[in-house]
Amino acid sequence: MQQDNISKNNFEQCLKCDLCTTVCPMKSVNPDYPGPKQAGPDGERYRIRDPRFYDLTLRFCLNCKRCEVACPSGVEVGDIIQTARIKYGRSAHALRNSLIANTDFVGSVATSHPRAVNGLADKPSFRSILDAFGIDRRRHLPQYASERFSKQFNALSQDGYARFVTFYHGCYVEYNYPSLGAALIELLNVCGYGVRLLDREKCCGAAFINNGLSARARINAKANAASIRKALENGSEDIVTTSATCTLTIRNDYDHLLGVKTDDIRQHVMLATKWLFGKIDSGEIRLAFREDWKGHYAYHTSCHMQMLGWQIYSIDLLKMIPGMQLDVLDQECCGIAGTFGYKKENYEYSQKIGEKLFADIARTGAGTVVADCETCKWQIENGTGIKVLNTIEVLLDALDIQKTRELNR
Amino acid sequence: MKYDVVIIGGGLAGVTAGIRLQKAGRKCCIVSGGLSLNEVPRQEFIAMGGTFLTGGRVLGGVWKGDVLESLVVSNLEGTGLCADNYILATGKFFSKGLVATMDNIYEPLFGCDVDFERDRSKWYDPDFFAPQPFEKFGVKTLDGRVLRDGVPMKNLYAAGEILAGDVDIVNSALDICSRII
Repeated sequence: MQQDNISKNNFEQCLKCDLCTTVCPMKSVNPDYPGPKQAGPDGERYRIRDPRFYDLTLRFCLNCKRCEVACPSGVEVGDIIQTARIKYGRSAHALRNSLIANTDFVGSVATSHPRAVNGLADKPSFRSILDAFGIDRRRHLPQYASERFSKQFNALSQDGYARFVTFYHGCYVEYNYPSLGAALIELLNVCGYGVRLLDREKCCGAAFINNGLSARARINAKANAASIRKALENGSEDIVTTSATCTLTIRNDYDHLLGVKTDDIRQHVMLATKWLFGKIDSGEIRLAFREDWKGHYAYHTSCHMQMLGWQIYSIDLLKMIPGMQLDVLDQECCGIAGTFGYKKENYEYSQKIGEKLFADIARTGAGTVVADCETCKWQIENGTGIKVLNTIEVLLDALDIQKTRELNR
Repeated sequence: MKYDVVIIGGGLAGVTAGIRLQKAGRKCCIVSGGLSLNEVPRQEFIAMGGTFLTGGRVLGGVWKGDVLESLVVSNLEGTGLCADNYILATGKFFSKGLVATMDNIYEPLFGCDVDFERDRSKWYDPDFFAPQPFEKFGVKTLDGRVLRDGVPMKNLYAAGEILAGDVDIVNSALDICSRII
């Protein structure tokens, strides 16, 4: 479709039908937000004439991309809004935003003093300070790990494998939740694959993009694209991930929003569940599950997972487990949208958006939620008190490790 | 990725067919192009174990003679979607089930035969409130199967708005289901 357009993102294809507005989680709770049609293609017509038409309420956009999924005309509504924010946006909270977006910096500091940071994060006095700084006090801060994932990884031997994939772990696994990375490595090793890491991995840049720091995001995008290219040249079959958002950012936003070309690598960057499903589908990998394993789980499709269209891989993998009772939740936004929900001015909206999903989860009676997104995990655990696991963790938990290892020898 | 039936389009016809087939024990996948307003039936379809895929767009098919072997879907590189039978329920012009140019109307995914008036001046009735001729344009079928170059395809059916003539959306979907079951 793009070949018929003179401007980017299929802007001219918008029919003004407003379907995007009906699926916008922000519009449904915040009448001040004009909604994706007006913020995107409608507003763009004016902004092209005069940048002063830039509307400050565009900061409410969650960048969830649900508008793009809904658009029957293929207009990249979300990208139009993000591009406008990059071009014209100014933030009143520049210091807070640059800190909250700089996951590598905060993560490095926090993981070098994890006990002090985690202790502080629970202190009401510290949360009051953060609140004054613009990070809502009602929000639980993510806990930091005592040892970074990449350090733990270096202690593991990955010798003796004939085939390799590279794991793009992302900031969340690196600084907060290394056990997810460890679970993926065990799963891949059991399936007969060795794992490597990128030579130089940087944050994917999603948080920079969402906080209007596109120059910083572009630096990371270029570095990651180069590292990924090198990993593929060095014999890794694919780059696997555990986060839908990092994956979408690398695959789509590097090119669409930051102008970093990724045509040669993007099809090799995928969630580990898509990769695993492909290998099972082609008969290269076989999984055996424990017969005594039983569980009742609810699967939540994160917005970026929906945009990728890969929820079917995670859901089908989970359905392969014989003792699995799986409720697939309707595809509602959880409301956090990465760093968005941490900001004081957004907290109420964020919680309001999540209400429908929280009620859906309660209705299923499931003891655990499964999602392929780390910030959905924080929001759902915060909002419901129910534990959220990544698909990879559930698969590994239900796996008959001995048998699977023999099947893939 | 193998299903019994893959339905292209998550509107009223697609979801109706999905629920009916899922009830009959068929493993179904609906690929929604976005235009999916039927929240309650969609939830019922998912609760019955059906797969509802959003975010991926069908780009075309892989054919072996008159048999559709698999669908090429954006984002699903490598795997694609396979099924024994397929139902085309992509609707008419608004949802891009049919595409109109200045002198042609075509079905963009598979190049199915479309029944329409060649003379463009006969597409519209100048009386705005009169029934418009273009509303009846749609794909041609024989026993529910779509035609390509006049030949009925073995495993590709069409249901709903995309059909030519006066269409009963729900019943056209149920009719296809009874042929598949």
